[in-house]
Amino acid sequence: MENILEIKNLTKKYPNFTLQNISFTLPKGMIMGFIGENGAGKTTTIKAILNIINSYSGEIKIFNLSHREHAKLLQEDIGVVLDDAFFPEILTPNDINNSMKGIFKNWDTKMFYNYLQEFSLLPNKQIKTFSKGMRKKLEIATALSHHPKLLILDEPTSGLDPVARAEVIEIFQSFIENVDCSILLSSHITADLEHVADYITFINEGKIILSKTTNELLNEYGIVKCTEKEFQNIAPEDYIKYKKNKYEYEILVSDKKAFKAKYNIKVIDKITLDDLMVLMIKGEE
Amino acid sequence: MLGFIKKDLAMVKSNFKLLGILVVVYTLMGLFGEMDISFILPFMSVMLMISTFSYDNYNKWESYSATLPNGRKNSVRAKYIATIIMTFIFAIITLLLSFLISYINTKTIPYEQTLISMLGNIFGTLLVLTFMYPIIYKFGLEKARIGIFLIIFGLVIIGGFLSSYLDLSFIGKTLNFLGKYIVLIIIIITILMVYLSYKISIKIYSKKEF
Repeated sequence: MENILEIKNLTKKYPNFTLQNISFTLPKGMIMGFIGENGAGKTTTIKAILNIINSYSGEIKIFNLSHREHAKLLQEDIGVVLDDAFFPEILTPNDINNSMKGIFKNWDTKMFYNYLQEFSLLPNKQIKTFSKGMRKKLEIATALSHHPKLLILDEPTSGLDPVARAEVIEIFQSFIENVDCSILLSSHITADLEHVADYITFINEGKIILSKTTNELLNEYGIVKCTEKEFQNIAPEDYIKYKKNKYEYEILVSDKKAFKAKYNIKVIDKITLDDLMVLMIKGEE
Repeated sequence: MLGFIKKDLAMVKSNFKLLGILVVVYTLMGLFGEMDISFILPFMSVMLMISTFSYDNYNKWESYSATLPNGRKNSVRAKYIATIIMTFIFAIITLLLSFLISYINTKTIPYEQTLISMLGNIFGTLLVLTFMYPIIYKFGLEKARIGIFLIIFGLVIIGGFLSSYLDLSFIGKTLNFLGKYIVLIIIIITILMVYLSYKISIKIYSKKEF
């Protein structure tokens, strides 16, 4: 499968934080959910991919081209939503349209105004009059309206109500109906990712600790709940992390079937991405 | 790059009312007052352009613009071009108003004097841009404001010191010697200064991390 994004050994050092040897690939036609707690390195990784930060080591390839050497060419094909950065709020969607016409070769005015209508955004109102959710929708409309092949979205659904989130997720799904397009999507709202993402990449304290298909993750990983006595009988190599609660132990296992067979446990709970994050970060080895 | 210029001019557009009021004030002062305030409109137009840095910074436009095609270079280039456009537009408006005021007041228009005055205004205004923009790109608007205040304060102190203790009459003699070439020299110096300032800003901005 051809990759649209390849990151190899990306390392960036700050005085109090280091992004360490980040490597992952995003195949064409796929959505990758990029998860991790606040400060884990998601935004730094995204900033490196987008050339917002530049002093780092490692290699980033987009559409099989070095993203540093072909930055201008690649930026034409990347749609971006950043966590907290956009056009100045004294501008209107009309101003954004006028500006973007002179920035992107493929800017599609008709598509932009269709999105504005779909999202009920008034074209002549200043951005500062919009709610947080409306601003996010405007950012998404802007990212989509120059026919990008790769969408890089940092928290695109934050501030949106459940109905708007479903609407936006549907737009992302129809975007990747074109098999040449992909999405890298970082989000705290992991329930959305369970529905939409083909791959999950999990970053913690500047390191990638997991990058798998969502199906693999949700079907093969599981949580075993047991007593302290039962826990003492489980070999450490058979689980990834465990958490001691008031009355029971929660154990994260990577192969439900094998674990069931070995320990004769009948019920292993399905895992959610939230459970996975909590156990991976807060659990003990 | 046109898109970046449009974005900057659209930001200034919301303050056109203020410039409109200044046009009226300038006309009234020209008709009824003695003081020459012909610098006010070009200077205010640059001040409005400088204020766009503050909106950019507040909404983290710098990060977003770096993701757009050739975004870093084009956003700096656009800032300079938009500022020059604004300076010229308001210098020309000032010039036309000055002609009108002179005509109403005395029925004669001092073309040469008014043109030289306009040139001086453009030079002075672009001098602000030349010094301010690289400092803003390097340190941000807030620190740049303090920096520019310190530079002006320092220049006044040094100027005062030099004029008290040294014979500066050679400056006047040199200007007289240059005579009719002075206008051309000012134009060339302005272009060189703005170009150098632009190059420094580009260098600073292309290395900046957001």
